[in-house]
Amino acid sequence: MAQHDSIFIAGMEDDRRIESRILEERIQRAVAEGYHRIEVQAHGQHGIGGRLWNTDGKPVKVEIRGFPGQRIGSMGAPGTTIEVHGSASDDVGWLNAGATIIVHGDATNGVANAMAQGRIYVAGDIGARGMTMTKQNPRFEPPELWVLGGVGDSFAEFMAGGVAVVCGHGSHYRRNSILGTRPCVGMVGGKIFFHGHQKSYSEADAKIVRITDEEWEWLRKGLKDFLQVAGKEYIFEELTHDRSTWQLITARAPSEKLSIRRSTMRQFHTEVWDRELGAGGLIGDLTNLDRGQIPVITTGDLRRFVPSWENHKYLPPCQASCPTGIPVQKRWELIRKGELDKAVNLSLEYTPFPATVCGHLCPNLCMEGCTRGKANLVPVDTALLGRASLDAVEPEPLQPTGKKVAIIGGGPAGLSVAWQLWLKGHEPVIHDRAEDLGGKIRSVIPFSRIPKDVFEHELKRLRDRVAWVKLDEGGVTEELFMDIRDRYEYTVIAVGAQNPRELRVKGYDRAMPALDFLRSAKRNRIGVGERVVIIGAGNVGCDAATEAYRLGAKEVTLIDIQKPASFGKERAAAEAAGARFVWPVKTEAITKKGVVLSDGTEIPANLVVASIGDRPDLSFLPDSIDTQGGFIRVGDDYRTSDPRVFAIGDSVRPGLITDAIGAGRKVASAIDAALRGQQETHDQLSVIDTARIHLEYYDPSVKELPDIHACSVQCASCGGCRDCGLCETLCPGSAISRKTLEGGGFEYVVDADRCIGCGFCAGACPCGIWELRENVPIG
Amino acid sequence: MEPVGNLHPSTLSTRDLPWRVLWKREKCTLCGRCTAACPVRAIGLGVHRKRTMEVSVGLATKPSNLYQVYHGIDQVTDPARACIGCGLCTQVCPNGAIMALRSDEADKLRFHVNKGGEPRRRGGRRNDPGSVLDRIKFVRISMLTDPALDAGRHEFEVRTLLGRILSPEESLRAQRENLWIPPVREIYPLMVGGMSFGALSPNMWEGLQMGVAYLNEELGMPVRMCTGEGGCPPRLLRSRFLKYVILQIASGYFGWDEIIHALPEMKEDPCAIEIKYGQGAKPGDGGLLMWYKVNKLIAAIRGVPTGVSLPSPPTHQTKYSIEESVAKMIQSMCMAWGFRVPVYPKISATTTTLAVLNNLARNPYAAGLAIDGEDGGTGAAYNVSMNHMGHPIASNIRDAYLNLVKIGKQNEIPILAGGGVGKNGNLAANAAALIMLGASGIQAGKYIMQACGGCVGSEADRCNICNIGLCPKGITSQDPRIYRRLDPEDVAQRLVDVFVSFDAELKKILAPLGRSTSLPIGMADALGIDDRNAAERLGIRYVV
Repeated sequence: MAQHDSIFIAGMEDDRRIESRILEERIQRAVAEGYHRIEVQAHGQHGIGGRLWNTDGKPVKVEIRGFPGQRIGSMGAPGTTIEVHGSASDDVGWLNAGATIIVHGDATNGVANAMAQGRIYVAGDIGARGMTMTKQNPRFEPPELWVLGGVGDSFAEFMAGGVAVVCGHGSHYRRNSILGTRPCVGMVGGKIFFHGHQKSYSEADAKIVRITDEEWEWLRKGLKDFLQVAGKEYIFEELTHDRSTWQLITARAPSEKLSIRRSTMRQFHTEVWDRELGAGGLIGDLTNLDRGQIPVITTGDLRRFVPSWENHKYLPPCQASCPTGIPVQKRWELIRKGELDKAVNLSLEYTPFPATVCGHLCPNLCMEGCTRGKANLVPVDTALLGRASLDAVEPEPLQPTGKKVAIIGGGPAGLSVAWQLWLKGHEPVIHDRAEDLGGKIRSVIPFSRIPKDVFEHELKRLRDRVAWVKLDEGGVTEELFMDIRDRYEYTVIAVGAQNPRELRVKGYDRAMPALDFLRSAKRNRIGVGERVVIIGAGNVGCDAATEAYRLGAKEVTLIDIQKPASFGKERAAAEAAGARFVWPVKTEAITKKGVVLSDGTEIPANLVVASIGDRPDLSFLPDSIDTQGGFIRVGDDYRTSDPRVFAIGDSVRPGLITDAIGAGRKVASAIDAALRGQQETHDQLSVIDTARIHLEYYDPSVKELPDIHACSVQCASCGGCRDCGLCETLCPGSAISRKTLEGGGFEYVVDADRCIGCGFCAGACPCGIWELRENVPIG
Repeated sequence: MEPVGNLHPSTLSTRDLPWRVLWKREKCTLCGRCTAACPVRAIGLGVHRKRTMEVSVGLATKPSNLYQVYHGIDQVTDPARACIGCGLCTQVCPNGAIMALRSDEADKLRFHVNKGGEPRRRGGRRNDPGSVLDRIKFVRISMLTDPALDAGRHEFEVRTLLGRILSPEESLRAQRENLWIPPVREIYPLMVGGMSFGALSPNMWEGLQMGVAYLNEELGMPVRMCTGEGGCPPRLLRSRFLKYVILQIASGYFGWDEIIHALPEMKEDPCAIEIKYGQGAKPGDGGLLMWYKVNKLIAAIRGVPTGVSLPSPPTHQTKYSIEESVAKMIQSMCMAWGFRVPVYPKISATTTTLAVLNNLARNPYAAGLAIDGEDGGTGAAYNVSMNHMGHPIASNIRDAYLNLVKIGKQNEIPILAGGGVGKNGNLAANAAALIMLGASGIQAGKYIMQACGGCVGSEADRCNICNIGLCPKGITSQDPRIYRRLDPEDVAQRLVDVFVSFDAELKKILAPLGRSTSLPIGMADALGIDDRNAAERLGIRYVV
């Protein structure tokens, strides 16, 4: 325990300055020994007066004279008072945790830096960076800095608590700013009272607020104490007589920092941007299009895509595949509606032989084209529909025109033209050398394939309405032809192909031409023997084979130089009868015994039939009508090089009966247009893309369609709306509705204001009616 | 997808496409929003037949089939309609039922996008996520050695100079003898790179310009934006905002008659004139605005009839030599504004950069050189040009800068760097790296589109349909039905956010270097990279 309460510690010893460390040790020892008043004669030592804790709890006073170094009272403890009799160097009260520090002169940079508790009085000015990083611990009173003069730059940076009072009295700074430049940057807490002129402070971080009465009383009381310590009580009145000369800066709360007032972009847009540029902004002078924001999903005009109900805009594949052009799908549709009669009668608008050809002879290309086949679904059966058409009632022909058209040849092609011209009100006249009309259907095709009564029934319907002239057995001659041509408005050549092609092998004349054979066979006027060889295994050859068996042959062989071209019913009938197909083989010669092949083998035969195709007999043609490769040359509309003469059927190119009938219809249409002085209009519709048809709606396990009603239900109705209402139900916006038209028709319509252009209708439509199309461009 | 009938070489399955659309039947409510929104119609409603066998236990009764039809969202496999992965379907789906996922192996589509012998064209960028700039580190952090600045605390004035700066001797002489002094602009070092009105939608373009004006007038940041080659709306030419605009002239010369007509009525000079000779994304190739994008508006601004394709040839067809191309064009452009406006060329980064730079160094009217690196984006280019043509920006900038040092003009001709800056999102770091390699300023385009327009393009070939006018976000479309999705105010606000945050980040890099007012241009000793070859090539530190 010390004898006295006071001790003097010199900063010099033996004329030498003692180190800061030694001075610190001596001060600490003095306190430990119980001294409460320590006088220090400083010589630049650092950190004097900090970190002093005595054990008795009484306050410790450190009086400093001389020239103290930096960091006086650094980490100062509560209960310590440090009084500097003069000016102080940098960082007075650095990290002060409770000491009271009094500086009677000025203090340089860094006063109160990071101070957390305690109080610093400076009776002069302070340098830069005072009161930075100060804070307030809630457990203690806030730290205080009292400056009689002014403060240097960057005051109160990152100040987080405590109170600074800057009196601005007698300051070197007073001509500029009493708080220096850029004070309060990063300030987040605490208060700064100041008296005097101040240019600026960080408004982003701090704000000037009104001094409350309570604060003013606190300030007055504090000032009294400060001035007393500083020995300047006499200026109290000067400093406090006008409360309005004091200002208070506090930190902005985090929420206030965010609300620093700037124009919103909306305001800037309308008040600055559009004001400078004009209404509509940057391009308001170039466009009046609305450019306001719209959602991604839009309706009406703003849809990128719009659905389009394209009913019957395209041909169904069945109709497009039919050379005759029969609207097969339309007929199924009528049957679905329960209008069987209409469906049946409709056929006679297209062909005079719906039962004969569609029902029996035609390979039904419509069924080959049927979309259902693409998904291995059984196609709808047109043959059923054809046979059901036997008793069809023909439409009323148009008003008679009195125009006469000559037709040479009464086979399928000629009869088709005649039928169509009759329907259109003209007077066709058929010229044929045969006993009766019908051409090959009558004379060549076996009864096994076309029941006599069916054909007779349909032929009679035609014969009753169309005139025909029986020619001599010799047929038409050039002279006769020219006579006919000159007498009629138009002439149509439909003589077919009657002359067999020559087989250039030895003994060819021993073979019987197929047409001759079939003609005789049909009348049962030929015997065939046990063995028959047919050269050429096409469909005519197959017919010959079938007939040969019917006439008693035991073994019929069809030979061909290549893979036989035969198909369909003819081939099936021949195979069923037992015919043998041999290919590829080349015929070397025809002998009495049979056919010798190029490899030397001999196929024995009682009868050899040559079925290698036929050529038209064109000996009657005048030079004005061109031919090509043995056939008559025609243009797209079957017109020959003589504009008043048309040619169709096998005389133009070999084909199916349906090809001949279709050609007849086209020629009739062309002649009709010409007779009426009109431009002919063909059906311009293209075939529907079958990808638009959805077959997933049909049952794949169905193996056969037993009757026409079943067929009508299973028809995919490609391109023709079957009025199922699926789209109406599916549409997510309920935009689609069915509208009944006057006259019983219907259509599906879209409410643009409900439609978003999703394309579901197009994606789901069983018949491919809906299509999603790009909307009309804007702008 | 639809079941396949016949196979063709280009018959692809969803698995062969880069993106597969995953659709969840149990979540889907069939609202149609996804198919209505899909830009390329990669999805559509499909019809499906579902078969269930009904077999009783013990086979007590004869088994039977139950067929049912359901509808679902199908992905189209036609290469022309392949999913682009934009994700708009996911965004519009109310139930989270649909999402495009990248296929787990290299797609096969790439082998089939040349129908009719026409090579693939697209927008976007190089589809290479690699970036030397991203690997550069700022290794000089001055904590105790230099004045340690605090990016948050200290006042920074981040500015650069655009224009020819005379040497001190020349400057003194010019002042003494009252000679012409080249115009110099003090601007923000990051600028919005050239994207044309036409390549960008009206709403996007106006939004960017509005944001630039806001930055200047509300925040005091002198940010500049280049028009790209598509003319400039007449109103902008006659407004005070023109001073924030760098007008570009390129080989198509679009809109320049309108600019000339506006000259007498201009309230302000433009910031500068950029003469485009090349573009980093497609060096050696020109531009083409397809006829269907040339609507009335585009036509009016570009001064052309509607509905015609607008090619910008790879070279300036009205000039016939480097002297003409560079010297005469620069001089003519200087004359147009009475020698008050800086004029500088922009080229693709190339091994011939130094030849151009040396030429410019001798030309008193050249205000700088903009170099556009291979990573730049574009609205439309051939795939091959984008992916395989061009020069990386880092070494080209470094070479150019060191060349200026060699001839003693490094402080006299600013070099602007662009092309994929911030391609992986690191805009400030990439920009700072380029500045320290020698660039005085940075041009950014693609980053701006991503950040300000919400472009979903990526370095992994996502979306990339800028060229066909179907941009899902409305950034590069001329169709009001699409571009009206974008509100110009939103774009402007995003631009402001981008620049303010860029500024904060850039300061974080500059502060430890002790720089608060002058940019550390060419201060490559602060850079390091963990690749010895790259370090050697760029003349920076090798650090591991």
